[in-house]
Amino acid sequence: MTSHWCDFRNTDVILHCGSNSVENHPVGSKWLNKAHELGAKWIVVDPRYTRTAEMADIYCPIRSGTDIAFYGGMFNYIIERLIEPNLADYLAGKEVPDYNFEYLLNYTNASYLLDPEYDFDVESGLFSGFDEATKSYSNNSWRYQTDSVEEWDTTGAYAWAVADGVPEFTPPVVKHPKRDMTLADPMCVYQQLKNHYTRYDLDTVCNICGMDKETLELVYETYSATAAPGKAGMILYALGQTQHTYGAQNTRAMSVMQLLLGNVGVPGGGVNALRGEPNVQGATDMGMLVNEQPGYLKWANTTDRSSLRKWLESQTNSDGYYTNKPKFMISALKEWFGDAATVDNDYGYDWWPKVPSKKTDPDYTHVSTFELMSQDVIKGFFCWGMNPCHSAPNASNVRRAMANLDWLVVADLVATESATFWKAPDMNPADINTTVYFLPAALIYEKPGIVVNSGRWLQYRYQSLEPWEEAKPDFEMCDLLWTEICRLYEDEDGANPDPILNTKWDYYIDGKIDPRTVAWALNGYRISDSNLAEGKVDLLPSYSKLAADGSTACAMWIYSGFWNNNNAPLDPSAQPVGRRDNNDESGLGLYSNWAFSWPANRRILYNRNSADMNGKPWAADKKLVEWTGEKWDLVDQADFVAANNGVPVPPDDKSFFMLWEQNARLESYGMVDGPLPEFYEPFESPVGENLLNGALSSPCMSFAEYESTKHGDASDYPIVATTYSVTEQWQGGGQTRMCPALVEAMPAQFIEISEELAAEKGIESGDKVRVFNNRGSVEVAAVVTKRVKPLQVHGGQQHLVGLTHHYSWAGVFGTEAATVNDLTPNVVDPNSFTPEYKAFLVNIEKATGGER
Amino acid sequence: MAEKAILFDTSRCTGCHACQIACKCWNVLPSPTRLNENTFSGTHQNPPDLNGATRLIMTYSEADGALPNKPVAWAFGRRSCQHCTDAPCASICPSGTLYVHEESGMVTVDASKCVACHYCVTACPFDVPRYNGMQGKVNKCTGCVDRIEQGIAPACVSTCQPEALSFGDRDEMLAEAEKRLAMLKSRGYEHAVIYGAEEIGGLHVIQVFKYGVEAHGQVLDPKVSPITTLTNIMKPVTGVVAGATVIGLAVMFGLAAGYKRDKLAYNAETEDTISLETGEVIKHGDGQDTESVKEHITCNLPIGKKGGDHE
Repeated sequence: MTSHWCDFRNTDVILHCGSNSVENHPVGSKWLNKAHELGAKWIVVDPRYTRTAEMADIYCPIRSGTDIAFYGGMFNYIIERLIEPNLADYLAGKEVPDYNFEYLLNYTNASYLLDPEYDFDVESGLFSGFDEATKSYSNNSWRYQTDSVEEWDTTGAYAWAVADGVPEFTPPVVKHPKRDMTLADPMCVYQQLKNHYTRYDLDTVCNICGMDKETLELVYETYSATAAPGKAGMILYALGQTQHTYGAQNTRAMSVMQLLLGNVGVPGGGVNALRGEPNVQGATDMGMLVNEQPGYLKWANTTDRSSLRKWLESQTNSDGYYTNKPKFMISALKEWFGDAATVDNDYGYDWWPKVPSKKTDPDYTHVSTFELMSQDVIKGFFCWGMNPCHSAPNASNVRRAMANLDWLVVADLVATESATFWKAPDMNPADINTTVYFLPAALIYEKPGIVVNSGRWLQYRYQSLEPWEEAKPDFEMCDLLWTEICRLYEDEDGANPDPILNTKWDYYIDGKIDPRTVAWALNGYRISDSNLAEGKVDLLPSYSKLAADGSTACAMWIYSGFWNNNNAPLDPSAQPVGRRDNNDESGLGLYSNWAFSWPANRRILYNRNSADMNGKPWAADKKLVEWTGEKWDLVDQADFVAANNGVPVPPDDKSFFMLWEQNARLESYGMVDGPLPEFYEPFESPVGENLLNGALSSPCMSFAEYESTKHGDASDYPIVATTYSVTEQWQGGGQTRMCPALVEAMPAQFIEISEELAAEKGIESGDKVRVFNNRGSVEVAAVVTKRVKPLQVHGGQQHLVGLTHHYSWAGVFGTEAATVNDLTPNVVDPNSFTPEYKAFLVNIEKATGGER
Repeated sequence: MAEKAILFDTSRCTGCHACQIACKCWNVLPSPTRLNENTFSGTHQNPPDLNGATRLIMTYSEADGALPNKPVAWAFGRRSCQHCTDAPCASICPSGTLYVHEESGMVTVDASKCVACHYCVTACPFDVPRYNGMQGKVNKCTGCVDRIEQGIAPACVSTCQPEALSFGDRDEMLAEAEKRLAMLKSRGYEHAVIYGAEEIGGLHVIQVFKYGVEAHGQVLDPKVSPITTLTNIMKPVTGVVAGATVIGLAVMFGLAAGYKRDKLAYNAETEDTISLETGEVIKHGDGQDTESVKEHITCNLPIGKKGGDHE
């Protein structure tokens, strides 16, 4: 989230789209209720009337998988109703109470001129730069026209970049973009945006998405009222937005909407991802991704990051805060390899594995990992705290792939479907030669450590009980494995020893692996006065003290400052991460002395945008930062340069300093599948054409070519399906199916069916229903409900169903069931590699003997 | 200690089930643990009714919405003891099992005294007490007086994250309910209403309903049958000779059938819902109902044909 849970109460309009947060984030609903009671309007856009919809003021249905049409319609509405009628007045210096032009013009790239080659072709549905052979874009024409260039002053502010110990690299050049502050130039981002979304009129959007025009208009009107200076609207989203072949573009669309309305960086605003697990934010931060290492720094690869020099030159921003990336990177390498990392060996960079990144290389992301197992490329698999046989898309394909492995290690709390994949009803154990090792893992309460919530708050939690029998915390299992691997290398030698034997591994207290020493490494420390093996550390106050010359070590720059008290380095309660002061001095629910919020204990990201060009807050009663005329008065930690070497920096337009241009991107060259969010149908669509452009599905979606995806047509499978969770059970259910009271409260997975579809198919609540497509066939219980209704799409009636997915064959106490993810397609978004669980096609029938 | 009450505010309730589960956990009430032992109701309401090991359930009912932008009215309800001031179960209980906790006003339970006479079951205007067949004891919300005496709220209240449940002095809860009602009315919920202020002498569970009393599964204008008073005549006899009350019980059954009017009964065996007034099956579970109303009433009694309860 760019804001945090308690910030909900500051909003004027709540928009849920692609999330059902009172169901899936029940604790957070307290803050939504507070906002609602303070007078906020509450809108839910969802294929189903959910528990969240029941709480809201306005419910707007939507066909699964058509979000970008909905957002595009919103952009068009904002441009037609708020921007165009008022722009001339604003430029003439008149008051415009309904729209925040100052924000749009100064804090976004609306005025930037795009490359003259920039184009979008409605006929083909393609932006400029598409290569048919590789189904990918070159983003050259999506960039800005350059006004002037400026080089780094390595004798002044950037002297550190050429200091002793800093690896040699050519600093980037700042290319100041050309701008038109009147927004008249046809190549400016605003004009391109306006032209792009004129197609997204109310009738077309309704025809695609399936809501009625009156409701849609009410939603647009209610939400775009937050465009007034001082008003705030917040979008709350979750997997309903991300689990699509254009999921990352959905996130972009929400960002563009929030920027057009001036809702980013203000209290009660933001683009707020509600993370699915208690610590999924931490897992993402810590780099459990194929393309990123801890702290959102890119991994080494085989193309533009094949050497340290190339990494520094491709990753270092020319301006803004990410000019400091070399400091983060060298400090990370110093933590990985310790004394073995020197400037002469590029701080050990070449010991890192390089992610294959040529277009022809095999792909090692989640979904394609199982393809590589099927192809005998991957022969061994550590499955740690995940349950792909239950939760991965096209799950029957996953278990067949796993049957191809030589060995499988599963570390989990319980024997999950993945740990017992050979027991699936459609598997024959006699045919499977995979050796399976099960490592029992300690539950969260059985180990100490740090969790990070969706609002980026880090909290240290103590162990409350001993692990059950042989179960161990994950870090202890890692330690046992790692020390044994190192011993084998030392005693018996092995392939590629350098990366293994040079890795620093000194996270012990009294001879036992301990998360507190890991916390030192994450926070960062000065190397000269530290020796972790001896329990000695000189912790850094924050990441601002990191250096690129090898004098500091830091595994996780974004967390730096969370564990910085040198007086009691072993006492979590004495560290910022252990704070438990719930006084709210801000009056805005920042709770700055409760836990630690990365980065730098900043509670609301991009908070410079909460004030105007003179540094005066848009909303006087919701002050985060204010320029007094002499200095910045900071209620939250500044997310901008408030002072330079102790000298206050007066307000300017550099309000998004994590980008080199320091203004937010309405148009972005950073996505692989297009510079503006454009609507495409899902991989499996119930309709034969895209009403907005000539491409049916996303031209860039990944893995659609795999045979295993088994695309289904609407002629065979006419019903749109989506998947979701219920509050009583959690994801794959490994944990919650072990809790009898939860099983009793929700003892089965089910399919929600409208009364109309149920009547057509002769199905009643509680009946067993067979749900099937080309990938699988599952039987689940029916819930016939008013909360799902057929929609009018492309002029005809379109049925939708929704399925929960918490049970399968590995139940001990629960209910045996089929695996719902046998139905979902293993196609993914090309930016994030997230699968399309949320929109696909099925057909249904009453199961044989399906009466209750 | 002033008179206490639980406030249940449906404008904040998200139907998350946490109260139901907290009740089971705090009170160590077992849930089925065998594989496939639970049956699914076909709705979010699981288990479908109170039972010998479940003292609180969340209810879910759907209707067409009356507000312009709310096409569905999905009413969440709380089905449990309402802790009546003039609690008929407590006044009829011959053994002192059910009694009013004087400090708080909650109607609590000392199960060790239960003689399994089932008077409370027939007396309750809300059809709340259930029998635990294994133990032969009544099972009903105790108001968590064990917690209240320690200065903490009942388990269901403490766990409620959306703050739909609160606990405190009864007059304060009523005042808060008025504020919540005004909020709902201002949002257009014109059938919103407060429940529990006057019913049965005043309840110690005050509820604010978005969609009206019946939409949330509650009894409109509940009455204590005058027969409860009559039945009380039998109480000393029953209390003294608890084991030898067959005749007394037989009288009770006759009386009980008389005042269980205007109520629905749920038969867990057949999964049918039966009107006790007309004897008709309102909602079929599985197959046709072959038992009479009387059989339904007596089936849970110790001398009834089935011996124990449906557990």
